[in-house]
Amino acid sequence: MTVPTKTPTTKELVSASISGKKTDVVGAVVAFVLLLSIFVSLGILVTLLADMLIKGWSVFADRGFDFVTSPLSPDPARAGVSQGIFGSVILMVFVVVVAFPLGVGAAIYLEEYAQDTRLTRFIVANMRNLAGVPSIVYGLLGFAVFVQLLSGITNGRTLISGGLTLAVLVLPIMMITASEALRAVPEALRQASYGVGATKWETIRHHVLPVALPAILTGSVLTIARAFGESAPLLLAGAVLSNFFSAPAGTGFVTHVTEGDYTALPIVVFNWARQPQKEFVAITAAGIVVLLVLLLLVNGAAIYIRDRASRK
Amino acid sequence: MDTQSTPNPDATGVVHEPHDETRHHFSEILDEIKNGMVEMGSLVVENARRVGVAMVENRLDLVPVVIAADDEVNQRYAELERMTFETLARQQPVAKDLRFLVSATRILYELERTGDLVVNLAFTIDELHGFPDAPHLKGLLERLVAASSGLFARSITALGEMDENAGERLDAEDDEVDDLVAAFYQEIGRQRDEIGLEAGIALNRMGRFLERIADHGVNIGENTTYIVTAEFPGDTHLSLRAES
Amino acid sequence: MNRIVPQSETADDAAASPPQAEAAAVFEVQDLNVFYSDFHAVRDVNIDVKEHEITAFIGPSGCGKSTVLRCFNRMNDLIETARVEGRINYHGVDLYGAEVDPVQVRRHIGMVFQKPNPFPKSIYDNIAFGPRIAGFSGNMDELVESSLERAALWDEVKDIQDQSAFALSGGQQQRLCIARAIATNPDVLLMDEPASALDPIATLRIEELMHELKNEYTIIIVTHNMQQAARVSDRTAFFNVSLNEKGQRTGQLVEFDETGRIFTNPAEEATEDYITGRFG
Repeated sequence: MTVPTKTPTTKELVSASISGKKTDVVGAVVAFVLLLSIFVSLGILVTLLADMLIKGWSVFADRGFDFVTSPLSPDPARAGVSQGIFGSVILMVFVVVVAFPLGVGAAIYLEEYAQDTRLTRFIVANMRNLAGVPSIVYGLLGFAVFVQLLSGITNGRTLISGGLTLAVLVLPIMMITASEALRAVPEALRQASYGVGATKWETIRHHVLPVALPAILTGSVLTIARAFGESAPLLLAGAVLSNFFSAPAGTGFVTHVTEGDYTALPIVVFNWARQPQKEFVAITAAGIVVLLVLLLLVNGAAIYIRDRASRK
Repeated sequence: MDTQSTPNPDATGVVHEPHDETRHHFSEILDEIKNGMVEMGSLVVENARRVGVAMVENRLDLVPVVIAADDEVNQRYAELERMTFETLARQQPVAKDLRFLVSATRILYELERTGDLVVNLAFTIDELHGFPDAPHLKGLLERLVAASSGLFARSITALGEMDENAGERLDAEDDEVDDLVAAFYQEIGRQRDEIGLEAGIALNRMGRFLERIADHGVNIGENTTYIVTAEFPGDTHLSLRAES
Repeated sequence: MNRIVPQSETADDAAASPPQAEAAAVFEVQDLNVFYSDFHAVRDVNIDVKEHEITAFIGPSGCGKSTVLRCFNRMNDLIETARVEGRINYHGVDLYGAEVDPVQVRRHIGMVFQKPNPFPKSIYDNIAFGPRIAGFSGNMDELVESSLERAALWDEVKDIQDQSAFALSGGQQQRLCIARAIATNPDVLLMDEPASALDPIATLRIEELMHELKNEYTIIIVTHNMQQAARVSDRTAFFNVSLNEKGQRTGQLVEFDETGRIFTNPAEEATEDYITGRFG
């Protein structure tokens, strides 16, 4: 005797078609792989940092702040990063004073004033190319132009040449950052300003720039942070790569900047890393730690400035 | 149509300035149409009283005045109808506003027809060269005129006040008019030899005109009730009666 | 920032000429054509905009109504590829004449945009900006107050003028933008779909405000909402889009008449098709 089959009700049909646990295997695997990549990346960084801290800890433990305030010395037990810090800071000042106004100004012109012609598009395309040029090429440029050609003004291998070289290096990036920040300002804001009878400059000055400023500042501070870590162009532009140099006693600040030899923190570290004696290993690591701390401070400053500017 | 010149406080006691009303302009238009209808109705009432005097006091000199006065009624009709039609097109009215505007077209028609009836009364008394010598009939006519034009006048007042009971009340009052008309016809019949055939026919027509004036008043009342309550009392527009 | 005094208001003219049967024309547009590079966007527009009236431009998308609107305050100048041919007279003066400064024009002919776009500043500074750059040296507080009053916003913001404009709701922001436009003492207000980003109640309040503003200003409103045009405007211009010889979708003026007539008995079949929704 056959059992009569019951016709399924609507409710049963619906229930059957919408229930069921579908395990998204592929999704889970992808999520896991992504998580793994974060761990790996962070892991590498953390390992490096830990390695540096371990290797350089003895320097801070034995000498403390003296490491930061001492100049270079052939003796690793007495060598310090003060000249490196001084050089890097002055270089950054140059970068800010030169690259920031030029870069932002060029961006304002390109975004707000220039007509969309083939020439402007050509310029913009080349600007992006320049941003990708290896930094050593800028070093060559710096050497040829600032150290040699303009040695009457720069006095050759000085912080002026180094600063200008780095400024030229980051100028394209500065322009791009500022351009993007200006482009991100909504067109409606400009229209509103023109609508009440403002000129182009009034519109830029009172409305566009204030809105773009947080992004421009953040971008520029990050650019400076990047320039801080550059060593290749400076090597060519005359930074001193040696265990020891110093200015004559009593040299004033201005003379030191305009005429004296100079170095930068990454270069100091690079130099120490080349030394065969194993005593230099510890101060190399310590130098890297100082470099990283300073970078952290600079990035922290970027965040602080951006917050202040956007809160206004 | 609830706007007044000085705003009233709402349920929470807040007085809203005209700025706060979101369709102040539209409300003003609706008020203008309503007031226009009331004014038009008042012109008709005034003309009805005028023709009443002409008929009862043998003032045939008033006949051309009555006829001329209706010109303004017709003019108002055209204006208000155009305004109502345009407002329907432009303001997308719904609910009470829609009922008001659609009823306005009907009410305007009733007003205009009533104006014409008053003119017809004038023509009739003019053709008769005055009321025949029949005091009892004249007395009945006088009462009929008062009842009919009075009902019509009250319908205009009810329209102005948006009285929701207008339909029912005026319908009840209409019974008195109907009774008077019936009595009027009877009396015409009784006195047909004294007044003659021509006069009899003419008086009969006058009675009919007066009855219809009252009917128009009832219609206006029923439309007024409909505007306020969305229910149409009476049998005239069964389709508009709310389903029970 | 002297307001342009229209002809009908000067005492001498009133004495000399008989009372005008119609309002004076603020704008006279003759053979207006607008191009974006090679693209013929708007063709042969002839229209007069009357003083103290609300004139609405309606029509389907792409019919050029916003383009024409932006010709009145020379905002099309900001678009590199835009080219305007023909003549627009503003109180009899050629708006595109060689000596005309577009910046000055925009102080006399204000604009309100589709999406409220207050400056990211305080409510007070939003209103004050325009007069300040125009060189206003009088009492700014009073000017701000009167502008906000006329935009029906004063009561709501009088105690929070220092707060950011973004603290306001959408409808309030748009009224702020109207106040901002009024602050430079224009005699014309151009409104490009001013209520399309607002909820219905806010929309009706803007419409109500326009009725009041009409007494002091001439208003031209572009709207894709033809019911709004029907409710609010005195005169309506219907623009339509058609293919020209080059196969481009060009806009043109089809019909321009009193709003009552347009919406009860339009002269052109295309107009009737559009307003009854039997389009396309």
